[in-house]
Amino acid sequence: MSLKNCYNFEDFRKLAKKNLPAPIFHYIDGGSDDEVTLKRNTESFSKYDLVPNILASVGEPDLSTTVLGTKIDMPLFLSPTAMQRLYHHDGDKASARAAEKYGTFYSMSTMATSSIEQIANVSGGPKMFQLYIHKDQALTDNLIDRCKSSGFKSLCLTVDTVVAGNRERDHRWGFTTPPKLTLKSLMSFITHPKWTFNYLTHEKFELANVSHFTKKGSSIAKGVMEYINEQYDPAMSWKDAEYCVKRWKGPFALKGVMSVEDAKRAIDIGASAIMLSNHGGRQLDGSRSPFDQLKTIVDAVGGKIEIIVDGGIRRGTHVLKALSLGATACSFGKGFLFALSAGGQKGVETILQRMKEELRRDMILLGKKKIEDLGEENIAIRN
Amino acid sequence: MSLKNCHNFSDFRKLAKRKLPSPIFHYIDGAADDEVTYARNTSAFDDVDLVPNVLRGVENVDLSTTIFGKKLDLPFYLAPTALQRLFHYDGERAVGKAAQKFNTMFGVSALATVSVEEISSMIDTPKMFQFYFHKDRGLNTSCLERAKAAKFDVMALTVDTITGGNRERDLRTGFTSPPKLTLASLFSFATKPMWGINYLTKGKFELPHIQDHLEAGTSTNTSIGNYFSTMLDQSMNWKDAEKLCAQWGGHFALKGVMSVEDAKRAVDIGCTGIMVSNHGGRQLDGSRSPFDQLAEIVDAVGDKLDVICEGGIHRGTHMLKALSLGAKACSGGRLYLYALAAAGQAGVERALGQYKAELERDMKLMGCTKISELSRKNLRFRG
Repeated sequence: MSLKNCYNFEDFRKLAKKNLPAPIFHYIDGGSDDEVTLKRNTESFSKYDLVPNILASVGEPDLSTTVLGTKIDMPLFLSPTAMQRLYHHDGDKASARAAEKYGTFYSMSTMATSSIEQIANVSGGPKMFQLYIHKDQALTDNLIDRCKSSGFKSLCLTVDTVVAGNRERDHRWGFTTPPKLTLKSLMSFITHPKWTFNYLTHEKFELANVSHFTKKGSSIAKGVMEYINEQYDPAMSWKDAEYCVKRWKGPFALKGVMSVEDAKRAIDIGASAIMLSNHGGRQLDGSRSPFDQLKTIVDAVGGKIEIIVDGGIRRGTHVLKALSLGATACSFGKGFLFALSAGGQKGVETILQRMKEELRRDMILLGKKKIEDLGEENIAIRN
Repeated sequence: MSLKNCHNFSDFRKLAKRKLPSPIFHYIDGAADDEVTYARNTSAFDDVDLVPNVLRGVENVDLSTTIFGKKLDLPFYLAPTALQRLFHYDGERAVGKAAQKFNTMFGVSALATVSVEEISSMIDTPKMFQFYFHKDRGLNTSCLERAKAAKFDVMALTVDTITGGNRERDLRTGFTSPPKLTLASLFSFATKPMWGINYLTKGKFELPHIQDHLEAGTSTNTSIGNYFSTMLDQSMNWKDAEKLCAQWGGHFALKGVMSVEDAKRAVDIGCTGIMVSNHGGRQLDGSRSPFDQLAEIVDAVGDKLDVICEGGIHRGTHMLKALSLGAKACSGGRLYLYALAAAGQAGVERALGQYKAELERDMKLMGCTKISELSRKNLRFRG
């Protein structure tokens, strides 16, 4: 199996599984508890059907849309994800370059393995930074200010990670960052010599944005979960979020909002967008899927704040369903991470190309010229 | 597989399966007829999604809850289950000590293998005695008086076992109590020598609450179904329950109430609580799951007595869903029985510790710091 045989999410996932040591594959692939929410995130799209219009002389559809103050060439962008260097030795650089090529957002995690400045140097495309509020206020301020001076277009604050989710696959596989060899995982690293070789021969693994702040440094093997529980501030409140909005003074999203009440408060504190998300089913299992919750949120705050659907997206039609219900744009994490693991920058470009082709084809089949032509009349709920 | 690899309900179940002779494992694991209700008890939780709130400042979570006038540190307790010394030689001693350690209620069955007197001398945390209404009125009076003298806090009358459920796994494996060797079960007992050695050497198997009233004593092997069908009084009616309630004179609950009508009558006869339960799917197959029925019951009587949701609970998120709907607390049997079979007191403590950790984590992810903050606003039923 090679990259050119990868036509869809499942193909990229298979190739990623082949390329990655098991603990690392399962870190991407897994969710929390019984993975009920993880599964539902994608399933929920099947609850709605698309209703096309015919003879609409579509010609070449325009896939561009404006989100977070930036016009992007397609209504799908890369969600912020941690530690991309584990999945491919080019890590964030590969994703950032691929996103630039396709004219869409690359998002950098606080827990990225490249620094804000490094990425600003390699990609001139639209960039978003994802922020966690740390117990150490100076660290949070430092990150915001560095993004500003490095030309990042927008900032998102993740609010669904006050405590680490119960990711049982990581318990079983002994996942730590950087990877630690345990007796159980050893075999898996040995049987993936190419990954192991590349990991060891390319630049050192570090959490480049925060390593100079955390006492333990990044050379000590520690679970990302442990990091979350030690460093993130569980007392994080609306005041803290508002503080970040004010300090940033640019397009700002709250990532992980699910309730109507919170969506309204996001408007009140001056956020420009909310990302409907349950962290890819990796935090609170049994929580509602973004797409299931979308209509409720659109009915309450649509038009007053941008709504980004994050989670479960595997197909162009998933994106179109979300846009038809009133989302501004969509984002995906696992989708491009498997592609990154499958083939680095080329892999991410391939999945973006596939998604772009799907979106183009599906827009034509739906009889729509522009993203703003999509509406509730294109979609029907199954009874 | 060992205890330290047990991260959830199904891990404990696997370990229990490995430790127990198969007739005993299947006695715990099985249910009535086609086990439709048994499966539904858990899957019912997937029909509703949690909708979290963010940025609430959730450093410290208080899980305590008050039922039957007793403050427990956890919003769930250990439901009364029979014959615990069959599952581990320490039986109720192990479970009771674990319950005390976590300051939650311990339910002791009329068919317990350790006496109320011994349990009372061992633990001082809240205790519930579960009572069956026998034909032998002397036996009924003796149970009540002994539980009262042993300072049990709550009396629960089981009302869903008027006759034995059709537990077909027990028919196949030849499960009786005490265990009887049949050709089919012989192999299973022979392959679990540790269980056999412990069973035979760690004290005689007894049913201290009822054995003096059994004509043939406990040396006769009987099935639980047979016991329910021959010993219990099928003419039991509301008058009998009312009399017992008055005779007990303290907190009194009916276990196995499912209809709104019966819940209202429970209030009328002076009950202070009801367990919405179908006996873990072990009695009437096809009957409604407690969680499916919970909202109706809470709406009818939730402000007049404590409504407990019992059955199908495997996860902290299941409990949060039941509590959000208005249950005062949750309880379960298999919830701790597999852990008891897997490793005795250490097993039960590990399981309780995990449920507690899940609840704390899930409360934080829901944006709640007290059980009383959970409400139906946190839930969305799937359309």
